[in-house]
Amino acid sequence: MTAQMIENILQALAAGLLAGAIYGLMCVGLGLIFGVMRVINFAHGDFMMLGMYAAWFLFGALGIQAVAGSLIGPYIAILLAGPLLFLFGYVVHKALISRVTGTRTAQLDGEGHYAQLILTLGIALVLQNGGMIVFGSELHSIRTPLSSSAWELGPVWGDFISIFVNKSRGIAALFSIATIVVLALMIARSRLGKSLRAAADNPEAATYMGIDVDQAHRIAFALGVGITAIAGGLLATNYPFQPYIGLEYVIVMYAGVVLGGMGSIVGAFWGGMTIGLVQQLSTLILPTQLQNAAIFVVFLLIVFLRPQGFFGRVVERT
Amino acid sequence: MLRLENVLAGYSAVPVLRDVSLSVDAGQFVAVVGPNGAGKTSLFKTISGILQPRQGRITFEGVDLASVPPSGRAHLGIAHVPEGRQVFPSLSVLENLEMGAYTAAGQRDWKHNIERIFTWLPVLAERRAQFAGTLSGGEQQMVAIGRGLASSPKLLMLDEPSMGLAPAIADFIFEKLIEIRRDTGLTILLVEQRVAEALESADHGYVLEAGRVVLEGDNTTLRADDRVRQAYLGM
Repeated sequence: MTAQMIENILQALAAGLLAGAIYGLMCVGLGLIFGVMRVINFAHGDFMMLGMYAAWFLFGALGIQAVAGSLIGPYIAILLAGPLLFLFGYVVHKALISRVTGTRTAQLDGEGHYAQLILTLGIALVLQNGGMIVFGSELHSIRTPLSSSAWELGPVWGDFISIFVNKSRGIAALFSIATIVVLALMIARSRLGKSLRAAADNPEAATYMGIDVDQAHRIAFALGVGITAIAGGLLATNYPFQPYIGLEYVIVMYAGVVLGGMGSIVGAFWGGMTIGLVQQLSTLILPTQLQNAAIFVVFLLIVFLRPQGFFGRVVERT
Repeated sequence: MLRLENVLAGYSAVPVLRDVSLSVDAGQFVAVVGPNGAGKTSLFKTISGILQPRQGRITFEGVDLASVPPSGRAHLGIAHVPEGRQVFPSLSVLENLEMGAYTAAGQRDWKHNIERIFTWLPVLAERRAQFAGTLSGGEQQMVAIGRGLASSPKLLMLDEPSMGLAPAIADFIFEKLIEIRRDTGLTILLVEQRVAEALESADHGYVLEAGRVVLEGDNTTLRADDRVRQAYLGM
Protein backbone atom coordinates (compact mmCIF):
# COMPACT_ATOMS: atom_id res chain seq x y z
CA MET A 1 0.00 0.00 0.00
CA THR A 2 1.42 3.33 -0.93
CA ALA A 3 1.59 6.33 1.36
CA GLN A 4 -0.91 8.03 -0.93
CA MET A 5 -3.48 5.28 -0.39
CA ILE A 6 -3.03 5.32 3.36
CA GLU A 7 -3.42 9.05 3.34
CA ASN A 8 -6.63 8.78 1.32
CA ILE A 9 -8.06 6.22 3.71
CA LEU A 10 -7.18 8.29 6.78
CA GLN A 11 -8.58 11.40 5.13
CA ALA A 12 -11.86 9.61 4.36
CA LEU A 13 -11.95 8.26 7.91
CA ALA A 14 -11.57 11.78 9.29
CA ALA A 15 -14.28 13.09 6.96
CA GLY A 16 -16.51 10.22 8.05
CA LEU A 17 -16.04 10.96 11.75
CA LEU A 18 -16.80 14.64 11.18
CA ALA A 19 -19.93 13.96 9.15
CA GLY A 20 -20.90 11.15 11.51
CA ALA A 21 -20.81 13.40 14.57
CA ILE A 22 -23.44 15.67 13.01
CA TYR A 23 -25.54 12.81 11.65
CA GLY A 24 -25.34 11.34 15.14
CA LEU A 25 -26.83 14.49 16.62
CA MET A 26 -29.68 14.50 14.07
CA CYS A 27 -30.39 10.86 14.80
CA VAL A 28 -30.41 11.51 18.55
CA GLY A 29 -33.15 14.11 18.02
CA LEU A 30 -35.27 11.68 16.05
CA GLY A 31 -34.39 8.77 18.33
CA LEU A 32 -35.48 10.70 21.41
CA ILE A 33 -38.92 11.28 19.89
CA PHE A 34 -39.29 7.71 18.77
CA GLY A 35 -37.91 6.31 22.02
CA VAL A 36 -40.27 8.21 24.28
CA MET A 37 -43.39 8.52 22.10
CA ARG A 38 -43.14 5.56 19.70
CA VAL A 39 -44.17 7.97 16.96
CA ILE A 40 -42.58 7.89 13.53
CA ASN A 41 -42.00 11.53 12.65
CA PHE A 42 -41.71 11.94 8.89
CA ALA A 43 -41.43 15.70 9.26
CA HIS A 44 -38.19 15.50 11.19
CA GLY A 45 -35.99 16.44 8.24
CA ASP A 46 -38.18 19.47 7.65
CA PHE A 47 -37.91 20.57 11.25
CA MET A 48 -34.16 20.39 10.67
CA MET A 49 -34.61 22.57 7.58
CA LEU A 50 -36.42 25.13 9.73
CA GLY A 51 -33.54 24.98 12.19
CA MET A 52 -31.14 25.79 9.35
CA TYR A 53 -33.19 28.79 8.29
CA ALA A 54 -33.62 29.90 11.89
CA ALA A 55 -29.85 29.86 12.45
CA TRP A 56 -29.29 31.58 9.08
CA PHE A 57 -31.78 34.37 9.83
CA LEU A 58 -30.50 34.86 13.37
CA PHE A 59 -26.94 35.08 12.10
CA GLY A 60 -27.54 37.37 9.13
CA ALA A 61 -30.80 39.30 9.02
CA LEU A 62 -31.32 39.45 12.79
CA GLY A 63 -27.89 40.87 13.47
CA ILE A 64 -25.90 38.29 15.39
CA GLN A 65 -23.14 38.61 12.81
CA ALA A 66 -23.05 42.37 13.41
CA VAL A 67 -22.92 41.95 17.20
CA ALA A 68 -20.78 38.88 17.72
CA GLY A 69 -18.71 38.85 14.55
CA SER A 70 -18.47 36.19 11.89
CA LEU A 71 -16.19 33.90 13.88
CA ILE A 72 -18.32 32.98 16.89
CA GLY A 73 -21.56 34.52 15.55
CA PRO A 74 -22.61 31.40 13.61
CA TYR A 75 -22.32 29.20 16.69
CA ILE A 76 -24.34 31.60 18.84
CA ALA A 77 -27.02 31.66 16.15
CA ILE A 78 -27.04 27.86 15.97
CA LEU A 79 -27.26 27.57 19.74
CA LEU A 80 -30.24 29.95 19.75
CA ALA A 81 -31.96 28.07 16.91
CA GLY A 82 -32.23 25.10 19.30
CA PRO A 83 -34.56 26.74 21.87
CA LEU A 84 -36.47 28.48 19.08
CA LEU A 85 -37.27 25.19 17.38
CA PHE A 86 -37.92 23.64 20.80
CA LEU A 87 -40.75 26.14 21.16
CA PHE A 88 -41.95 25.41 17.64
CA GLY A 89 -41.93 21.67 18.33
CA TYR A 90 -43.77 22.24 21.61
CA VAL A 91 -46.53 24.16 19.84
CA VAL A 92 -46.79 21.64 16.98
CA HIS A 93 -47.12 18.83 19.51
CA LYS A 94 -49.72 20.67 21.53
CA ALA A 95 -51.80 21.72 18.51
CA LEU A 96 -51.46 18.65 16.29
CA ILE A 97 -49.36 15.67 17.35
CA SER A 98 -51.00 15.26 20.77
CA ARG A 99 -54.34 14.67 19.03
CA VAL A 100 -53.16 11.33 17.69
CA THR A 101 -50.58 10.23 20.28
CA GLY A 102 -50.18 9.50 23.97
CA THR A 103 -53.19 8.85 26.13
CA ARG A 104 -55.58 9.65 23.29
CA THR A 105 -54.46 6.73 21.13
CA ALA A 106 -56.62 4.24 22.99
CA GLN A 107 -59.66 5.45 21.08
CA LEU A 108 -57.99 5.39 17.64
CA ASP A 109 -57.57 2.68 15.00
CA GLY A 110 -54.23 0.84 15.11
CA GLU A 111 -53.29 2.75 18.28
CA GLY A 112 -53.17 5.92 16.24
CA HIS A 113 -50.27 4.84 14.01
CA TYR A 114 -52.17 5.48 10.76
CA ALA A 115 -53.18 8.94 11.89
CA GLN A 116 -49.60 9.63 13.04
CA LEU A 117 -48.14 8.65 9.66
CA ILE A 118 -50.58 10.81 7.75
CA LEU A 119 -50.22 13.74 10.11
CA THR A 120 -46.42 13.85 10.17
CA LEU A 121 -46.27 13.34 6.40
CA GLY A 122 -48.74 16.20 6.03
CA ILE A 123 -46.65 18.43 8.29
CA ALA A 124 -43.60 17.55 6.18
CA LEU A 125 -45.36 18.60 2.96
CA VAL A 126 -46.63 21.83 4.50
CA LEU A 127 -43.17 22.73 5.80
CA GLN A 128 -41.43 21.91 2.51
CA ASN A 129 -43.82 23.83 0.32
CA GLY A 130 -44.38 26.57 2.87
CA GLY A 131 -40.60 26.90 3.04
CA MET A 132 -40.48 27.22 -0.72
CA ILE A 133 -43.08 30.01 -0.66
CA VAL A 134 -41.51 31.89 2.23
CA PHE A 135 -37.78 31.34 1.69
CA GLY A 136 -37.60 30.66 -2.05
CA SER A 137 -35.51 28.02 -3.78
CA GLU A 138 -32.21 29.89 -3.55
CA LEU A 139 -29.37 28.01 -1.89
CA HIS A 140 -28.08 29.48 1.37
CA SER A 141 -25.38 28.62 3.82
CA ILE A 142 -24.07 30.04 7.06
CA ARG A 143 -20.69 31.35 6.02
CA THR A 144 -17.87 31.24 8.46
CA PRO A 145 -14.26 32.19 7.69
CA LEU A 146 -13.26 28.90 9.29
CA SER A 147 -14.60 26.85 6.41
CA SER A 148 -11.75 27.96 4.19
CA SER A 149 -8.98 26.91 6.56
CA ALA A 150 -7.85 23.60 7.95
CA TRP A 151 -5.85 22.02 10.70
CA GLU A 152 -3.08 19.78 9.56
CA LEU A 153 -2.70 16.62 11.61
CA GLY A 154 0.71 15.21 11.10
CA PRO A 155 2.88 14.69 9.28
CA VAL A 156 2.74 11.16 10.65
CA TRP A 157 5.00 8.29 9.56
CA GLY A 158 7.88 10.36 8.38
CA ASP A 159 7.02 13.20 6.12
CA PHE A 160 4.64 11.41 3.85
CA ILE A 161 1.21 11.38 5.41
CA SER A 162 -0.79 14.19 6.92
CA ILE A 163 -4.52 14.66 7.35
CA PHE A 164 -6.33 17.93 6.86
CA VAL A 165 -9.35 18.72 8.99
CA ASN A 166 -11.48 21.60 7.84
CA LYS A 167 -11.79 23.94 10.83
CA SER A 168 -15.50 24.64 10.54
CA ARG A 169 -16.28 20.93 10.17
CA GLY A 170 -14.04 20.13 13.10
CA ILE A 171 -15.74 22.68 15.30
CA ALA A 172 -19.18 21.54 14.13
CA ALA A 173 -18.31 17.98 15.15
CA LEU A 174 -17.06 19.09 18.58
CA PHE A 175 -20.13 21.28 19.07
CA SER A 176 -22.32 18.33 18.13
CA ILE A 177 -20.61 15.96 20.55
CA ALA A 178 -20.83 18.53 23.36
CA THR A 179 -24.58 18.87 22.72
CA ILE A 180 -25.01 15.11 22.88
CA VAL A 181 -23.06 14.86 26.14
CA VAL A 182 -25.22 17.57 27.74
CA LEU A 183 -28.40 15.87 26.52
CA ALA A 184 -27.24 12.42 27.61
CA LEU A 185 -26.39 13.68 31.10
CA MET A 186 -29.75 15.41 31.29
CA ILE A 187 -31.61 12.23 30.30
CA ALA A 188 -29.54 10.06 32.64
CA ARG A 189 -29.35 12.23 35.74
CA SER A 190 -32.09 14.85 35.94
CA ARG A 191 -35.55 14.30 37.33
CA LEU A 192 -37.01 15.42 33.99
CA GLY A 193 -34.81 12.94 32.10
CA LYS A 194 -35.79 10.11 34.41
CA SER A 195 -39.47 10.95 34.08
CA LEU A 196 -39.11 10.86 30.27
CA ARG A 197 -37.54 7.41 30.49
CA ALA A 198 -40.24 6.24 32.88
CA ALA A 199 -42.95 7.52 30.52
CA ALA A 200 -41.23 5.67 27.67
CA ASP A 201 -40.91 2.43 29.64
CA ASN A 202 -44.47 2.23 30.86
CA PRO A 203 -46.85 5.14 30.28
CA GLU A 204 -49.57 3.69 32.49
CA ALA A 205 -47.30 3.13 35.49
CA ALA A 206 -45.77 6.58 34.91
CA THR A 207 -49.26 8.05 35.23
CA TYR A 208 -49.65 6.23 38.57
CA MET A 209 -46.45 7.99 39.72
CA GLY A 210 -48.03 11.35 38.98
CA ILE A 211 -46.15 11.93 35.71
CA ASP A 212 -48.25 13.70 33.08
CA VAL A 213 -47.41 11.45 30.14
CA ASP A 214 -48.75 13.81 27.47
CA GLN A 215 -46.61 16.60 28.89
CA ALA A 216 -43.58 14.26 28.94
CA HIS A 217 -44.24 13.47 25.27
CA ARG A 218 -44.48 17.16 24.47
CA ILE A 219 -41.11 17.84 26.07
CA ALA A 220 -39.49 14.87 24.35
CA PHE A 221 -40.89 15.96 20.99
CA ALA A 222 -39.78 19.57 21.45
CA LEU A 223 -36.33 18.46 22.66
CA GLY A 224 -35.96 16.16 19.67
CA VAL A 225 -36.88 18.97 17.29
CA GLY A 226 -34.55 21.44 19.04
CA ILE A 227 -31.62 19.01 19.01
CA THR A 228 -32.05 18.28 15.32
CA ALA A 229 -32.32 22.03 14.62
CA ILE A 230 -28.87 22.46 16.18
CA ALA A 231 -27.56 19.63 14.00
CA GLY A 232 -29.10 21.38 10.98
CA GLY A 233 -27.44 24.67 11.87
CA LEU A 234 -24.07 22.95 12.19
CA LEU A 235 -24.57 21.26 8.84
CA ALA A 236 -25.45 24.61 7.29
CA THR A 237 -21.99 25.97 8.10
CA ASN A 238 -20.58 23.47 5.59
CA TYR A 239 -23.33 22.62 3.14
CA PRO A 240 -25.72 24.89 1.27
CA PHE A 241 -29.40 24.27 1.93
CA GLN A 242 -32.84 24.94 0.43
CA PRO A 243 -36.40 24.14 1.61
CA TYR A 244 -36.35 20.53 0.35
CA ILE A 245 -33.15 19.54 2.14
CA GLY A 246 -35.13 17.67 4.79
CA LEU A 247 -35.95 14.91 2.31
CA GLU A 248 -32.28 14.09 1.82
CA TYR A 249 -31.57 13.83 5.51
CA VAL A 250 -34.70 12.21 6.88
CA ILE A 251 -33.50 9.03 5.16
CA VAL A 252 -30.08 9.32 6.79
CA MET A 253 -31.78 9.90 10.13
CA TYR A 254 -34.08 6.91 9.86
CA ALA A 255 -31.26 4.65 8.75
CA GLY A 256 -29.20 5.83 11.73
CA VAL A 257 -31.99 5.35 14.26
CA VAL A 258 -32.80 1.86 13.00
CA LEU A 259 -29.11 0.93 12.88
CA GLY A 260 -28.61 2.08 16.44
CA GLY A 261 -31.68 0.23 17.68
CA MET A 262 -35.09 1.85 17.80
CA GLY A 263 -35.60 3.50 21.15
CA SER A 264 -31.97 3.77 22.22
CA ILE A 265 -30.57 7.29 22.32
CA VAL A 266 -26.93 6.26 22.60
CA GLY A 267 -27.62 3.80 19.80
CA ALA A 268 -29.03 6.59 17.61
CA PHE A 269 -25.75 8.49 17.95
CA TRP A 270 -23.63 5.48 16.94
CA GLY A 271 -26.08 4.72 14.14
CA GLY A 272 -25.61 8.24 12.76
CA MET A 273 -21.85 7.94 13.19
CA THR A 274 -21.87 4.67 11.24
CA ILE A 275 -23.81 6.29 8.42
CA GLY A 276 -21.27 9.12 8.24
CA LEU A 277 -18.33 6.69 8.14
CA VAL A 278 -19.91 4.42 5.53
CA GLN A 279 -20.83 7.39 3.39
CA GLN A 280 -17.33 8.87 3.41
CA LEU A 281 -15.35 5.64 3.23
CA SER A 282 -17.44 4.46 0.30
CA THR A 283 -16.04 7.35 -1.75
CA LEU A 284 -12.73 5.50 -1.76
CA ILE A 285 -14.11 2.77 -3.98
CA LEU A 286 -17.41 4.09 -5.34
CA PRO A 287 -18.36 7.17 -7.31
CA THR A 288 -19.83 9.94 -5.14
CA GLN A 289 -23.32 9.47 -6.57
CA LEU A 290 -23.42 6.01 -5.02
CA GLN A 291 -22.75 7.22 -1.44
CA ASN A 292 -26.38 6.73 -0.44
CA ALA A 293 -26.47 3.33 -2.11
CA ALA A 294 -23.56 2.30 0.12
CA ILE A 295 -25.51 3.44 3.18
CA PHE A 296 -28.42 1.25 2.21
CA VAL A 297 -26.28 -1.79 1.53
CA VAL A 298 -24.84 -1.57 5.04
CA PHE A 299 -28.29 -0.85 6.38
CA LEU A 300 -29.74 -3.96 4.74
CA LEU A 301 -26.84 -6.06 6.02
CA ILE A 302 -27.50 -4.94 9.57
CA VAL A 303 -31.22 -5.49 9.26
CA PHE A 304 -30.46 -9.05 8.11
CA LEU A 305 -27.83 -9.80 10.71
CA ARG A 306 -28.97 -7.82 13.73
CA PRO A 307 -32.53 -6.58 13.20
CA GLN A 308 -32.77 -5.04 16.68
CA GLY A 309 -29.88 -2.68 15.83
CA PHE A 310 -26.62 -2.17 17.72
CA PHE A 311 -28.17 -1.16 21.02
CA GLY A 312 -31.73 -2.37 20.58
CA ARG A 313 -33.52 -4.42 23.13
CA VAL A 314 -34.63 -7.78 21.80
CA VAL A 315 -37.65 -7.75 24.05
CA GLU A 316 -40.13 -5.01 23.30
CA ARG A 317 -41.74 -3.16 26.17
CA THR A 318 -45.00 -4.62 27.37
CA MET B 1 -61.12 8.86 52.85
CA LEU B 2 -61.99 7.13 49.58
CA ARG B 3 -65.61 6.74 48.61
CA LEU B 4 -67.18 5.22 45.51
CA GLU B 5 -70.89 5.78 45.01
CA ASN B 6 -72.83 3.68 42.49
CA VAL B 7 -69.94 3.60 40.00
CA LEU B 8 -70.51 2.17 36.55
CA ALA B 9 -67.44 1.86 34.35
CA GLY B 10 -66.03 -0.27 31.57
CA TYR B 11 -64.46 -0.61 28.16
CA SER B 12 -66.44 0.62 25.13
CA ALA B 13 -69.97 -0.79 25.32
CA VAL B 14 -69.50 -3.40 28.02
CA PRO B 15 -69.62 -2.25 31.62
CA VAL B 16 -67.15 -4.07 33.86
CA LEU B 17 -68.25 -2.42 37.09
CA ARG B 18 -71.94 -2.03 37.80
CA ASP B 19 -73.29 0.05 40.62
CA VAL B 20 -70.22 -0.39 42.81
CA SER B 21 -70.23 1.45 46.13
CA LEU B 22 -67.28 1.14 48.43
CA SER B 23 -65.56 3.17 51.08
CA VAL B 24 -62.19 3.19 52.78
CA ASP B 25 -61.76 5.17 55.99
CA ALA B 26 -58.48 6.64 57.18
CA GLY B 27 -56.32 3.99 58.83
CA GLN B 28 -58.42 1.13 57.53
CA PHE B 29 -57.16 -1.96 55.73
CA VAL B 30 -59.79 -2.93 53.18
CA ALA B 31 -59.64 -6.00 50.97
CA VAL B 32 -61.56 -6.59 47.76
CA VAL B 33 -61.76 -10.23 46.81
CA GLY B 34 -63.42 -12.11 44.01
CA PRO B 35 -62.79 -14.44 41.10
CA ASN B 36 -60.88 -13.69 37.92
CA GLY B 37 -62.70 -11.22 35.70
CA ALA B 38 -64.84 -9.87 38.52
CA GLY B 39 -63.61 -6.34 37.75
CA LYS B 40 -61.09 -5.93 40.57
CA THR B 41 -58.34 -4.46 38.39
CA SER B 42 -60.88 -2.30 36.54
CA LEU B 43 -61.99 -1.00 39.91
CA PHE B 44 -58.43 0.17 40.61
CA LYS B 45 -58.02 1.62 37.13
CA THR B 46 -61.22 3.56 37.62
CA ILE B 47 -59.97 4.99 40.91
CA SER B 48 -56.67 5.93 39.19
CA GLY B 49 -58.46 7.49 36.25
CA ILE B 50 -57.27 5.16 33.48
CA LEU B 51 -60.93 4.14 33.11
CA GLN B 52 -63.61 6.81 33.25
CA PRO B 53 -66.73 6.07 35.29
CA ARG B 54 -69.85 6.55 33.18
CA GLN B 55 -72.10 6.89 36.19
CA GLY B 56 -71.55 7.46 39.86
CA ARG B 57 -69.04 9.43 41.82
CA ILE B 58 -65.60 8.84 43.29
CA THR B 59 -64.30 11.14 45.99
CA PHE B 60 -60.98 11.18 47.80
CA GLU B 61 -60.86 13.23 51.01
CA GLY B 62 -63.93 15.06 49.77
CA VAL B 63 -62.44 15.91 46.36
CA ASP B 64 -64.50 14.71 43.41
CA LEU B 65 -61.98 12.76 41.30
CA ALA B 66 -63.87 13.58 38.10
CA SER B 67 -62.12 16.95 38.24
CA VAL B 68 -58.63 15.46 38.79
CA PRO B 69 -56.70 14.15 35.76
CA PRO B 70 -55.21 10.64 36.11
CA SER B 71 -51.68 11.99 36.62
CA GLY B 72 -52.96 14.33 39.34
CA ARG B 73 -54.25 11.55 41.56
CA ALA B 74 -50.81 10.49 42.81
CA HIS B 75 -50.32 14.07 43.95
CA LEU B 76 -53.47 13.82 46.10
CA GLY B 77 -51.89 10.93 47.96
CA ILE B 78 -53.15 7.86 46.10
CA ALA B 79 -50.41 5.33 45.37
CA HIS B 80 -51.34 2.58 42.93
CA VAL B 81 -49.18 -0.55 42.94
CA PRO B 82 -50.47 -2.08 39.71
CA GLU B 83 -51.27 -5.64 38.77
CA GLY B 84 -48.28 -7.43 37.28
CA ARG B 85 -45.89 -5.01 39.05
CA GLN B 86 -45.21 -2.79 36.01
CA VAL B 87 -41.82 -1.59 37.20
CA PHE B 88 -39.82 0.61 34.80
CA PRO B 89 -37.54 -2.07 33.35
CA SER B 90 -34.82 0.19 31.93
CA LEU B 91 -34.55 2.28 35.08
CA SER B 92 -32.45 1.16 38.02
CA VAL B 93 -34.12 0.09 41.25
CA LEU B 94 -33.18 3.40 42.86
CA GLU B 95 -34.54 5.36 39.88
CA ASN B 96 -37.79 3.40 40.11
CA LEU B 97 -38.08 4.48 43.74
CA GLU B 98 -37.23 8.07 42.74
CA MET B 99 -40.10 7.99 40.24
CA GLY B 100 -42.33 6.84 43.09
CA ALA B 101 -41.22 9.99 44.89
CA TYR B 102 -42.30 12.17 41.95
CA THR B 103 -45.00 13.78 44.12
CA ALA B 104 -44.23 16.84 46.25
CA ALA B 105 -44.81 14.80 49.42
CA GLY B 106 -42.51 12.07 48.14
CA GLN B 107 -39.72 14.55 47.45
CA ARG B 108 -40.13 16.22 50.81
CA ASP B 109 -39.91 12.91 52.70
CA TRP B 110 -37.41 11.21 50.36
CA LYS B 111 -34.57 10.69 52.85
CA HIS B 112 -36.84 9.37 55.56
CA ASN B 113 -38.84 7.17 53.15
CA ILE B 114 -35.88 5.61 51.40
CA GLU B 115 -34.33 4.69 54.73
CA ARG B 116 -37.52 2.97 55.86
CA ILE B 117 -38.07 1.25 52.50
CA PHE B 118 -34.54 -0.17 52.61
CA THR B 119 -35.14 -1.36 56.20
CA TRP B 120 -38.36 -3.17 55.27
CA LEU B 121 -37.04 -4.49 51.97
CA PRO B 122 -33.25 -4.76 52.31
CA VAL B 123 -32.95 -6.56 48.99
CA LEU B 124 -33.80 -3.26 47.26
CA ALA B 125 -30.80 -1.61 48.89
CA GLU B 126 -28.57 -4.43 47.65
CA ARG B 127 -29.92 -4.14 44.13
CA ARG B 128 -30.32 -0.38 43.96
CA ALA B 129 -28.06 0.03 40.90
CA GLN B 130 -29.52 -2.91 38.97
CA PHE B 131 -32.03 -2.43 36.13
CA ALA B 132 -35.46 -3.29 37.49
CA GLY B 133 -36.21 -5.36 34.38
CA THR B 134 -33.49 -7.85 35.35
CA LEU B 135 -34.97 -8.67 38.77
CA SER B 136 -37.02 -11.72 39.69
CA GLY B 137 -40.79 -11.42 39.98
CA GLY B 138 -40.71 -11.22 43.77
CA GLU B 139 -38.04 -8.54 43.72
CA GLN B 140 -39.97 -6.57 41.11
CA GLN B 141 -43.01 -6.75 43.38
CA MET B 142 -40.90 -5.30 46.18
CA VAL B 143 -39.77 -2.51 43.83
CA ALA B 144 -43.40 -1.81 42.96
CA ILE B 145 -44.39 -1.68 46.63
CA GLY B 146 -41.35 0.43 47.52
CA ARG B 147 -42.17 2.76 44.64
CA GLY B 148 -45.69 3.16 46.00
CA LEU B 149 -44.41 3.88 49.52
CA ALA B 150 -41.86 6.40 48.23
CA SER B 151 -44.68 8.78 47.30
CA SER B 152 -45.62 9.22 50.99
CA PRO B 153 -49.15 8.11 50.15
CA LYS B 154 -52.26 8.59 52.24
CA LEU B 155 -53.81 5.56 50.55
CA LEU B 156 -51.83 2.60 49.22
CA MET B 157 -53.71 0.56 46.61
CA LEU B 158 -52.24 -2.88 45.97
CA ASP B 159 -53.46 -4.90 43.00
CA GLU B 160 -52.74 -8.59 43.54
CA PRO B 161 -49.26 -8.35 45.00
CA SER B 162 -49.04 -12.14 45.10
CA MET B 163 -49.80 -12.66 41.40
CA GLY B 164 -47.41 -14.99 39.62
CA LEU B 165 -45.18 -15.47 42.66
CA ALA B 166 -44.08 -18.70 44.30
CA PRO B 167 -46.13 -19.33 47.47
CA ALA B 168 -43.17 -18.75 49.78
CA ILE B 169 -42.41 -15.39 48.12
CA ALA B 170 -46.09 -14.43 48.20
CA ASP B 171 -46.17 -15.22 51.94
CA PHE B 172 -43.09 -13.07 52.43
CA ILE B 173 -44.70 -10.14 50.57
CA PHE B 174 -47.81 -10.48 52.73
CA GLU B 175 -45.80 -10.51 55.93
CA LYS B 176 -43.99 -7.39 54.78
CA LEU B 177 -47.25 -5.61 54.05
CA ILE B 178 -48.51 -6.43 57.54
CA GLU B 179 -45.21 -5.24 59.02
CA ILE B 180 -45.35 -1.99 57.01
CA ARG B 181 -48.91 -1.37 58.10
CA ARG B 182 -48.05 -2.07 61.72
CA ASP B 183 -45.15 0.40 61.55
CA THR B 184 -46.99 3.16 59.73
CA GLY B 185 -50.74 2.75 60.24
CA LEU B 186 -51.06 3.36 56.49
CA THR B 187 -54.50 3.12 54.89
CA ILE B 188 -54.50 0.20 52.46
CA LEU B 189 -56.88 -0.98 49.76
CA LEU B 190 -55.94 -4.45 48.61
CA VAL B 191 -57.23 -6.56 45.74
CA GLU B 192 -56.32 -10.19 46.09
CA GLN B 193 -57.14 -13.65 44.88
CA ARG B 194 -55.56 -15.26 47.92
CA VAL B 195 -58.80 -14.72 49.77
CA ALA B 196 -57.89 -16.41 53.06
CA GLU B 197 -54.80 -14.29 53.65
CA ALA B 198 -56.46 -11.12 52.43
CA LEU B 199 -59.48 -11.47 54.70
CA GLU B 200 -57.35 -12.51 57.64
CA SER B 201 -55.26 -9.35 57.63
CA ALA B 202 -57.90 -6.85 56.51
CA ASP B 203 -60.34 -4.97 58.78
CA HIS B 204 -63.07 -4.84 56.21
CA GLY B 205 -63.79 -6.71 53.00
CA TYR B 206 -65.84 -6.59 49.83
CA VAL B 207 -66.65 -9.53 47.59
CA LEU B 208 -66.85 -8.53 43.94
CA GLU B 209 -68.48 -10.86 41.42
CA ALA B 210 -69.24 -10.01 37.79
CA GLY B 211 -68.70 -6.33 38.46
CA ARG B 212 -71.03 -6.07 41.45
CA VAL B 213 -70.42 -5.99 45.17
CA VAL B 214 -72.25 -9.11 46.32
CA LEU B 215 -71.15 -9.01 49.92
CA GLU B 216 -69.39 -6.72 52.33
CA GLY B 217 -68.58 -6.71 55.97
CA ASP B 218 -65.88 -6.73 58.58
CA ASN B 219 -63.26 -9.39 58.83
CA THR B 220 -65.14 -11.78 61.14
CA THR B 221 -68.50 -11.45 59.39
CA LEU B 222 -67.02 -12.28 56.02
CA ARG B 223 -64.99 -15.19 57.25
CA ALA B 224 -68.06 -16.63 58.93
CA ASP B 225 -70.26 -16.22 55.86
CA ASP B 226 -71.21 -19.56 54.32
CA ARG B 227 -70.87 -18.39 50.74
CA VAL B 228 -67.39 -17.02 51.33
CA ARG B 229 -66.37 -20.16 53.21
CA GLN B 230 -67.55 -22.43 50.39
CA ALA B 231 -66.50 -20.42 47.37
CA TYR B 232 -63.22 -18.89 48.50
CA LEU B 233 -61.95 -20.53 51.63
CA GLY B 234 -62.65 -24.10 50.58
CA MET B 235 -64.41 -25.02 53.82
